[in-house]
Amino acid sequence: MKFGLFYELSTPRPFTRDTQKAVYENAIAQAVLADELGFSSVWCVEHHFLEEYSHASCPEMFLAAIARETTRIRLGFGIATCVPALHHPIRLAEKAAFLDMLSGGRVEFGTGRSSTWNELAGFNASVDDTKRNWDEYCRVIPQMWMNERYGYEGTYHTMPERNVLPKPWQDPHPPLWVAVTGHGTELDAADRGMGALILSIADVERNIPRFEAYRERVKKCEPVGAFVNDQIAVANWLFCHKDGSYARQRGEEMVSTFGYMAGQTVEISEAYPASNYTAIGLLGTLRPDPHAPGEHKLPPSGLCFGDPATLIDTVRRWEAAGADQLVFMVQAREVIAHEEVMDSLRLFAREVMPHFSEHKPARAAVGAR
Amino acid sequence: MKAELLYGHRPAADWREVTARLDISLTEDLTLENLQVHYALFEVPMEAALECLPASLHPAIPAHLGVTFWRCDGGPLGAFECAWLGLACRTGIKPRHLIHAAYVTRADVGEWLQRRYGFNYEVADVHYRENYDRLQGRIVQNGRTLLDTVTTHMQPVVGAGAAVKYSPALNPARVGDQPMMVQMEAGYSFKRVIRGTPQLLTFDAAGLGDARITPKYPMSGTHALVDATLHAPRFTADFVVPAEQGGAKKIAR
Repeated sequence: MKFGLFYELSTPRPFTRDTQKAVYENAIAQAVLADELGFSSVWCVEHHFLEEYSHASCPEMFLAAIARETTRIRLGFGIATCVPALHHPIRLAEKAAFLDMLSGGRVEFGTGRSSTWNELAGFNASVDDTKRNWDEYCRVIPQMWMNERYGYEGTYHTMPERNVLPKPWQDPHPPLWVAVTGHGTELDAADRGMGALILSIADVERNIPRFEAYRERVKKCEPVGAFVNDQIAVANWLFCHKDGSYARQRGEEMVSTFGYMAGQTVEISEAYPASNYTAIGLLGTLRPDPHAPGEHKLPPSGLCFGDPATLIDTVRRWEAAGADQLVFMVQAREVIAHEEVMDSLRLFAREVMPHFSEHKPARAAVGAR
Repeated sequence: MKAELLYGHRPAADWREVTARLDISLTEDLTLENLQVHYALFEVPMEAALECLPASLHPAIPAHLGVTFWRCDGGPLGAFECAWLGLACRTGIKPRHLIHAAYVTRADVGEWLQRRYGFNYEVADVHYRENYDRLQGRIVQNGRTLLDTVTTHMQPVVGAGAAVKYSPALNPARVGDQPMMVQMEAGYSFKRVIRGTPQLLTFDAAGLGDARITPKYPMSGTHALVDATLHAPRFTADFVVPAEQGGAKKIAR
């Protein structure tokens, strides 16, 4: 089991310059500490226009800042939005390779397509095409990294032969991932030999069928890159404290704050019924579904709020279920004081992480073409 | 770090004289089979949304307006057509539309909708039709066209996505003597959904209840054939106290 951090960079109102800077600086400091403590990855989302919820519009800059202050922690695009109105695939290939070079080969390349009306309409993107956009991007970006010169005629982009520069430090390229929110996307990841970055937090047991389906399907994949990344990383929350009751209270405060922020945005499924958005997306799945009946939605089980002994037990359940990594959100709109977040990371590293084997055997070569 | 939250600015006093009154004795479910529902969404300026929403409601981001038409060709209420307009908002995290205008072709159905859900209706010529290549909705009152909308470039929505998430109406109405916001409760079974791009040919904002609410950017327009089950309302919301601070309450029966 590996452990990572996952950042949305949510920001409290009023949006002053000082507040914004503090959010970014605190997160960078936490990532630097995580590197020292032995966490294996830090991921940053890409979101636009999502007031309060996420001010992470330039994840590659955030990750580059961390890259230059750390030596070991891996740097995850969580995710790069593979939609033409937001990014040309060449630009994504360039940015990821550039960061990989600056960081000495520490990039994890997560892909996705956005699930909010705020973003897709804000960029005037074609909502109906995003799944097909993503599929094309997944196939051409690794080729841009692996071939000295590459050109293609696609459905959404066509490029004459060019040398996309730089090439990544990792040879042949960084591991590829897919953000998995809606049910079935884990199979899309498996079919392409890409890791599943599970962003729908649910009970541990409810995830087991998805993990099993992924494991089975990835055995017969046709990888879009040079190798199969068959890892499952699961987004989660973390607040570790000696006083378990206090930890749960603060943790639920984070979840509730997150849910409140996420609830104010407009999901595609709310604004624009579409056959390619059959489930609520990231925002919806990281919180209780606001459309679900009932008054009080309990946070799902399997969240890492508690004292070290409780968290050891919780992580073991995730490990037994088949997760390879837990990537933790540790903050929501700065409701937890920065120093408390740092203490939580230290305590988790000292008393929980030693109970788990940090590095599983690399699977990078499996299924290489 | 203490966060400041985003809520509407409209004073609760603006709803002090609301006349619609909820009849909490109406509790039986009522099903409208083969109801045709048109639901069109348009973005509106955030500043207008903040001016029009009360202090207990958070605007949806981006701010938007929902236009809903119902065409019912028969059933327990007989044949009627109705339409309502509301600003998208949130009570806590729950999506709602705060209704500021409602129209119905028959006064007796309007009375029922008012007693049941607090719709502050007016009688008007409400006309909604699905044509071979477009959806057309119109509200005309005393010869004045208040709203005329057309939705084109239709395409079917299939598979598990073939549903529309209608944000429930939230109506200012009296419950007992107190003005509150009453949440409509309904379940929908979808038989067919198509979606297109809505366009407003006429939008008389002042005639439609609030001159500040002017649509700026189309989001989507859907036509759905549904069986709708109308349940009794269960919750009210306060104009001042947000749901997350205890402002949403169950209706005592």
